[in-house]
Amino acid sequence: MDNIYQPDLMEIAGVRQHTPDVKSVKLRFQDPNRAGSFDFRVGQFGIFSAFGAGEATFNICSSSNWKGSIEFCFRKVGRVTEALWDAEEGDTVGFRGPYGNGYPMEAWRGKDLIFLGGGIAMPPIRCAIWYALENRADYGDITIVYGARTVGDLVFVDELDEWARHPRVRVIRCVDPGGQTPDWTGEIGFVPTVFERADVPAKNAIALVIGPPIMIKNTIPVLERMGGAMSNVYTSLENRMKCGVGKCGRCNAGPVYVCKEGPVFTFEELRAIPMDY
Amino acid sequence: MSARISREDLRKLVAEWLAAGKKVFGPVRVKAGLELYAPLDSAEALLLDGWIRPANSIKELVFPRHEALYGYRILKNRVELVDLAAEIPEQIAIGAHPCDAAALAALDKVFNWDYRDEFYNRRRAATTVITMACAAHDDQCFCTSVGLGPEAERGSDALLHERDGGYEVRAISEKGRILLGGLAGETACPTAQTSGANTPPRRFDSAQVAAFAKEHFEDPYWAERALACLGCGACTFTCPACHCFDMVDEGNGREGVRARNWDACQFPMFTLHASGHNPRANQGARQRQRIYHKFVMYPDKFGEVLCTGCGNCSRNCPVGLGVLPAATEIGNG
Amino acid sequence: MSGSNGFEPKIVAFVCNWCTYLGADLAGTSRLEYPPNVRILRLPCTGRIDTNLVVKAVEGGADAVLVSGCHPGDCHYNAGNYHARRRWMLFRELLDVLGFDMRRIHFTWISAAEGRKFQHVISEITEQTRALGPWRAYEAKAEIDHRGGLVGQAVSPATGRAGPAPALQAPAPLAEQELRDLARRLLGAGDVKVVIGYGAAGPVFVTKAADVERLVWNEGCQANLTTYLKRKEVRALGKPAVVVKGCDERSLVVLEKESQIRREDVRVIGMACDGMGQEKCAACDTHEPRFADERVGKAGGQGGKPAARYAAVEAILAKTPEERLAFWSAEFDRCLKCYACRQVCPMCYCERCIADKNRPQAIDTSPHRKGNFAWHIARAMHLAGRCVGCDECTRACPAGIDLRLLNLTLARAAETQFGYRAGMDPAAEPPIGAYSLQDKEEFIR
Repeated sequence: MDNIYQPDLMEIAGVRQHTPDVKSVKLRFQDPNRAGSFDFRVGQFGIFSAFGAGEATFNICSSSNWKGSIEFCFRKVGRVTEALWDAEEGDTVGFRGPYGNGYPMEAWRGKDLIFLGGGIAMPPIRCAIWYALENRADYGDITIVYGARTVGDLVFVDELDEWARHPRVRVIRCVDPGGQTPDWTGEIGFVPTVFERADVPAKNAIALVIGPPIMIKNTIPVLERMGGAMSNVYTSLENRMKCGVGKCGRCNAGPVYVCKEGPVFTFEELRAIPMDY
Repeated sequence: MSARISREDLRKLVAEWLAAGKKVFGPVRVKAGLELYAPLDSAEALLLDGWIRPANSIKELVFPRHEALYGYRILKNRVELVDLAAEIPEQIAIGAHPCDAAALAALDKVFNWDYRDEFYNRRRAATTVITMACAAHDDQCFCTSVGLGPEAERGSDALLHERDGGYEVRAISEKGRILLGGLAGETACPTAQTSGANTPPRRFDSAQVAAFAKEHFEDPYWAERALACLGCGACTFTCPACHCFDMVDEGNGREGVRARNWDACQFPMFTLHASGHNPRANQGARQRQRIYHKFVMYPDKFGEVLCTGCGNCSRNCPVGLGVLPAATEIGNG
Repeated sequence: MSGSNGFEPKIVAFVCNWCTYLGADLAGTSRLEYPPNVRILRLPCTGRIDTNLVVKAVEGGADAVLVSGCHPGDCHYNAGNYHARRRWMLFRELLDVLGFDMRRIHFTWISAAEGRKFQHVISEITEQTRALGPWRAYEAKAEIDHRGGLVGQAVSPATGRAGPAPALQAPAPLAEQELRDLARRLLGAGDVKVVIGYGAAGPVFVTKAADVERLVWNEGCQANLTTYLKRKEVRALGKPAVVVKGCDERSLVVLEKESQIRREDVRVIGMACDGMGQEKCAACDTHEPRFADERVGKAGGQGGKPAARYAAVEAILAKTPEERLAFWSAEFDRCLKCYACRQVCPMCYCERCIADKNRPQAIDTSPHRKGNFAWHIARAMHLAGRCVGCDECTRACPAGIDLRLLNLTLARAAETQFGYRAGMDPAAEPPIGAYSLQDKEEFIR
């Protein structure tokens, strides 16, 4: 029987700890055939499981150009993530996916890209950044504004440095006021404010905004003031999911199943339909 | 050709099915005042009169409240998955109502768009639904407001009409024809005999319900309507069409199962994010969701209302809510 | 020595860290041999041993369970074992009514010096359990008496729901008018912002004096409206007046005792009531409200038969444990885990219910038999000495599970053991959270 709920078994190939409660994990398919045939689009997500604890939904935060493995990133907040936290290299976890629509990277070609992220929302942006850098000629200027509550809450910090070394890439780091350390060289302030100060041409750019609801809420007006079109401003919704395949009803928001029609939406779409997210 | 079967012969038929090892579900009186669809242990347990409709639905035949999806065994750092999908025996629902059967036709769609859910499909394939046209209705019935009726055929494999102390039998699908063989006729039962006593009046216009839900998404109406709502799942769990589910791991450190259980949009935890953010933060939003899903979202996606007018949500609601009171208010513009 | 069929019982022992665990240790260091069938789980104190753990052990396949701690007076934390003793007294009565095999659930006091007693107890339990054979508590054949159930319920023609037909003591139009006038006055004067009352089709929340005609008083007013005092959407409406019957009023007493409401923040409208035709009404002794701020109507003076209060419990206890287990298996097999019982209960106000917690998963969320037994046992235990017997859980249950019988079991235990009835006397000390040195412990070895 074809079982759409049955996961692939994955071996943990590497673990990186980013903050006291955030880790990213690299997985390899245990079945070599599956490893060879697996493909996904950046922006898609997976359902990851620790056997005995359950499943949880995370973006696949690696680039789709990286063959042979996938990565995901999580904060330790519940039963499943605690079990994943305790898993070590060589252990087995489950993966179902890829699910969802992903970013329309082809449609973004030729445009400037603006990535605005807050806190743990870096991973779903990271996959798009790497993809764009690996296809550098396809995209215009890239601006990354990434903020967190404190310096210690920033994730993938080493990669921020790496991205900044690429041509036509501007990386702006910021922390909330009071979240800085004495040696902090980045900006101090919230993402929307810092972004507005940075004065990035937004008129014809694609913007990807992911973060806590309050950050998104305050960033959208800034983008509008800067001339960004809502049809060019994207986000990735994080509705709670169980099945990932449009059955269980949990991610249902207004007229859509976020797991199938999302998780990536433009703000033009989000404004047109009544939704709870 | 229409065919008839006496009440005695109907029970005999059930007894034959049981003797042949088939699983037969039908309405039974569990205790005074409580009728449920349940597996019949004898043909005598089948309840043929004296009730409007059971407090549950036949969806459990195709979508059980608890179902193991697969097992796992943990051996050091390796995991082995175990196929737990046992053979599904042939099962028959006898005495289902049109509002139960029609729900299966709706469920077929969600369980098969894009990804095909074989847990559902194999149970569905093993199930034959023999529907009993309704002889009566109560003030919670509203099938006629959602495009159905006491003799609606949708989702049924055969239909029984009570006539002169027996039943007229008509096969609707190939499955029904195979199960009933020569017992069933093919022609439509003469509707002229429909007294009307079995037909609830049209209580609202479902298109108006949809329009209100769409246009008044943020209306304070929902919060006011939901004040009495206690946030339990009695409405969704007894609904023939509600199909939301949860997925859980149960077991010990060495082995266990991953299973799915019914879940309800009325529970606050249903949409609660790990971050503490809840997109549907109050009961009003949850009540709206149930109406919106049934009258807007599902029809937009799958072409039919996800409500068959059975009235179970209101009958089972301890505080008098459910689809009908809301739909009556917003669907009578 | 194993049984003739090679059966070796698995025994789970929950022991306290300070006495019994050291007693077990002493048995070991003294080289006192005892059967290896026991799995010892050490907890800080018997007072900290949740009854869920005992259930969990049975679920996990234990053939017998032992709970053991310090002798009375010896508790490391002064009184943990006294509190535990009280809970066990109630818990045992519940398990007994459920039909659990009480020969497999053991309680002892074993001190750090009693290595020999530990050895004896374990040997004895092991032998006894071996003779009993494997415990298949969750494999009972679910059997229900189709001729009307063990405890029959009639359906209410008014609501189509479980509960006997209303007695149809003529609805009191005078009382209804009086109630509306009162509500109009309270709302008009701004004394309260909302009147929580009965409407024609369910509870109503009247916020304007002009809307008081929505209030009704008739034989369909079964709900216990005090449950709305805990709901945040209702609280947001402002100071409430709540319509209660004498029985519902008891929940206010408990809620106040548990600091869930401040009495002065709620205006209580007490309705005299001759019964709503529910099972509980037959044994009612609270026809008149006793603590209400406002009183409406006068009861006909027909007393119930309070002596028959626990007749249903006694009826089920007349059955054999096997019959009881078969009955409850059938009842719980119908449970959908819709949590209507919890949501409707005025006493269930936890911010997050233990059933919704998963670290650890004390209760399986699945609506299978183990998960359902665990849930209903936990619910009953959490209501022990608190349930006021409004029977809302039973009324709300779409599966018609006889939940009232569980609550009644513990109410009976609280009354017979501690002379306590929840919500009757505001000055009385609740049985849980208190203890007495005289508490009976004949069941503890």
